[in-house]
Amino acid sequence: MDPHSLVDTAAAGIPAPFWFIQFFKVLGFTLHMAPMNLWFAGIIVAMLLHWLGGEPARRCSRRLMRQMPFIVALGVNFGIVPLLFIQLAYFKFFYPATILMAWFWMAIVGLLIPAYYGVYYYAWGWKDDEALTPGKQAAGWLSAVLFIAISFTYANAMSLMTNVEGWPEVWQSHAVAGAALGTGLNLGDPTLWPRWLLMFGLALGTTAAWMVVDAAWFAARESEAYHAWVRRSAPKLAALSVIWAAAAGSWYVFGTWPGELRETMFGGPLILLTLATGAAGGAPLMLMLTLGQTSPGRTTATWIGLAQFGVLVINAISRQTVQNLEIGEFFDLAAQPTSVQWSPLVMFLVVFVVGVAVVAWMLAQVVKASASPTR
Amino acid sequence: MHYPWWYVPYLTAPMLIALVAVIHMLVSHYAVGGGLFLAMETGYAYKKKDRDYLAYLRRHARFFVLLTVVFGAITGVGIWWTIGLASPLATEVLIRTFVFGWATEWVFFVVEIISAFIFLYAWGRLPEKTHVVIGWIYGAAAWISLVLITGITAFMLNPGDWPENRSFWIAFFNPQFVPQVVARTGGSLLLASLYVYLHASIVLKDLKLRELISRRSMRPALLGAILITFGGAGWYVMLPPSAMAVLPSAAVLNIFMGLIVGMTLVVFLGLYFGPYRHPNWLSPGFAGMLLVFGFGAVSTGEFIREAVRKPYVVYNVVLANQILPEEIPWLQGVGFLRGGTWTRAHVAAAYPQVLGKGDIMPARLLALPRADRLALGRVLFQYHCNDCHAEQSGYSAAAPLVRGRSPEALADMILHFRRTHFYMPPWSGTPEEAQLLGEYLAEIAPPNPTGMLLNGPRKEAK
Repeated sequence: MDPHSLVDTAAAGIPAPFWFIQFFKVLGFTLHMAPMNLWFAGIIVAMLLHWLGGEPARRCSRRLMRQMPFIVALGVNFGIVPLLFIQLAYFKFFYPATILMAWFWMAIVGLLIPAYYGVYYYAWGWKDDEALTPGKQAAGWLSAVLFIAISFTYANAMSLMTNVEGWPEVWQSHAVAGAALGTGLNLGDPTLWPRWLLMFGLALGTTAAWMVVDAAWFAARESEAYHAWVRRSAPKLAALSVIWAAAAGSWYVFGTWPGELRETMFGGPLILLTLATGAAGGAPLMLMLTLGQTSPGRTTATWIGLAQFGVLVINAISRQTVQNLEIGEFFDLAAQPTSVQWSPLVMFLVVFVVGVAVVAWMLAQVVKASASPTR
Repeated sequence: MHYPWWYVPYLTAPMLIALVAVIHMLVSHYAVGGGLFLAMETGYAYKKKDRDYLAYLRRHARFFVLLTVVFGAITGVGIWWTIGLASPLATEVLIRTFVFGWATEWVFFVVEIISAFIFLYAWGRLPEKTHVVIGWIYGAAAWISLVLITGITAFMLNPGDWPENRSFWIAFFNPQFVPQVVARTGGSLLLASLYVYLHASIVLKDLKLRELISRRSMRPALLGAILITFGGAGWYVMLPPSAMAVLPSAAVLNIFMGLIVGMTLVVFLGLYFGPYRHPNWLSPGFAGMLLVFGFGAVSTGEFIREAVRKPYVVYNVVLANQILPEEIPWLQGVGFLRGGTWTRAHVAAAYPQVLGKGDIMPARLLALPRADRLALGRVLFQYHCNDCHAEQSGYSAAAPLVRGRSPEALADMILHFRRTHFYMPPWSGTPEEAQLLGEYLAEIAPPNPTGMLLNGPRKEAK
């Protein structure tokens, strides 16, 4: 079966410039990726630290898990943005891919609810002087496993979306009378595993950077021993992240990309993006090993956090570029007719700015109240 | 057709939407009304310096966050998941039309999440006035979210002039917008009071405080009841005439209409005789009964709201079987199998003998062996009918509905659906394809059952 025959090439049109859609898709994905990384790798790291580590490691584990309910809430919320814009411009690829694996895609909702409640159960009502109960431990491990399962399902959907060549096989082997059973997965796609593992490598780096930021900004009450432990341990985790991401990234780029894609990403102006993506992962680690040791403090921690955010931004841009190139073989996304909805677009931008201001005001009230000695 | 159809045995894929949506509605309405309740009552308790009431409200806020921020938010995402899988074309059209409405709603959702957390976690640390303001920020953001989403869901029932003038604002301020906003606002206030009653009756031992809550939450419940009544009437008046005609056409909808009126009345009477006349009646059993009937009324209302849209999923815009109305004449000419991206690919791969010059030739379909004709009839059933009908058993299964009819009679019925079934999508294929579908339906139809004594009592053989 010719996979081209499965792509509906009729042009439906988009209500905003393609660059605008891509900008918000990449922005939203980056904002989602930061907290998502913290639950993807952070929960399993926290559980291992509690299980295997000494007192400072357990403090770090406790801190991470106590923050997890907020992190998950923000991550889920930010995930809406890329999901919205992917359906706006990439619907011809997103819907078929998710329908072919519909039950697994639906299972994300079913897995997310217990995973999310698991971190609440773990974190709530756990006093500093209390030991971790077996029930809470079980909830923490369960959440870690469920979030990893969710990430694998996501990696399947996103890779299947661009693996149009693989659609006929997934469809025909999981169909009845031409209708999808929704029980397929993208397991035959060689890009699936390195893509998924690459994200885990990035997630380890985000967890390491967050440990530094948290220690500098929010852990003033922790002991000096704790801060020293973070200074020693975060670079180790960041180094593991760099090695992991380099291995998975190399497998992905040199082991699974078609020659044409590799030539495009390593030629012309895109080579700068590719090289920057590969090199960026080392920046937070270098900062931790240099400034982080000689002049630790809030400024350094902020730079480390921003460097890791930059790593996520550049990864998101690269992923978007590769996605467009892969899909471009079947459909020219940028050539879709555009009929801009100007007044709703302006409404969104105005509300966005006002919303950011309201959130900033509320956070300022919390900071002000926390600083006040009388309350 | 444009997308692969997802076959969900027995239930049908769109019923998953109804299932997830109803569960979400029961929590999302509370997320709006409960937020307004917490803002209003926290302000009142601060003003009265009522420490006991404040302690209860803090406890309620914790329950509220646990239920709405986790379960409510994730099931809301779940609706997105299911509509994309079960109604991809409709979702595509809705997102293209309302992307900035949804994006704007997302901003309010961010504000909701952050304000809810601050309201709960900074309790006791913020100045009282600031704390209440943040509660109201949550309440306002949640209500505006309701308004924005209702603009979209109301459009699905009556898009008004949008098919002729495709403007965002015409779509958003559709004829159903105001009635549904009024009804949903009322539903939020009423359901929130019912949640509060049950929660307070379970966690509070202090009877005096229970009575206070009983009295105070009566007001929003009463206002909610009034808004639901007016909103519901407006919903009915603003239905397209053809949607209005669906209501008496299906027995299940008659029963559901009776149920919704009955259950709503039980809730209204319960509120009157309970919290209004006898605030001390607030026991877990009584409050639980009220909430169960409230859930029943809301769930039934959602089902009816969905059902009257037949044969559309977005009225006059997208048919339930994922076809655009303007595509029907074309499909009747070239054929449903040829017109659909996925059906065409399936037939081309499995039955190359029906292709001529690279396309499906309808005349060649009937020359196929019987087994292949039945298999293609099943393909047509999946893509044309399975959105509303399970096959042999399950939700509104087709097989029992067509028993006793010949393939020819069924093909004739399929070709002329509109004569007898105005609430079903018109046939969007060729007469040859109708013949294939008729043959398949006749094949799966069960025989007439035994057990009826239509000729009087059996006589003993002499």
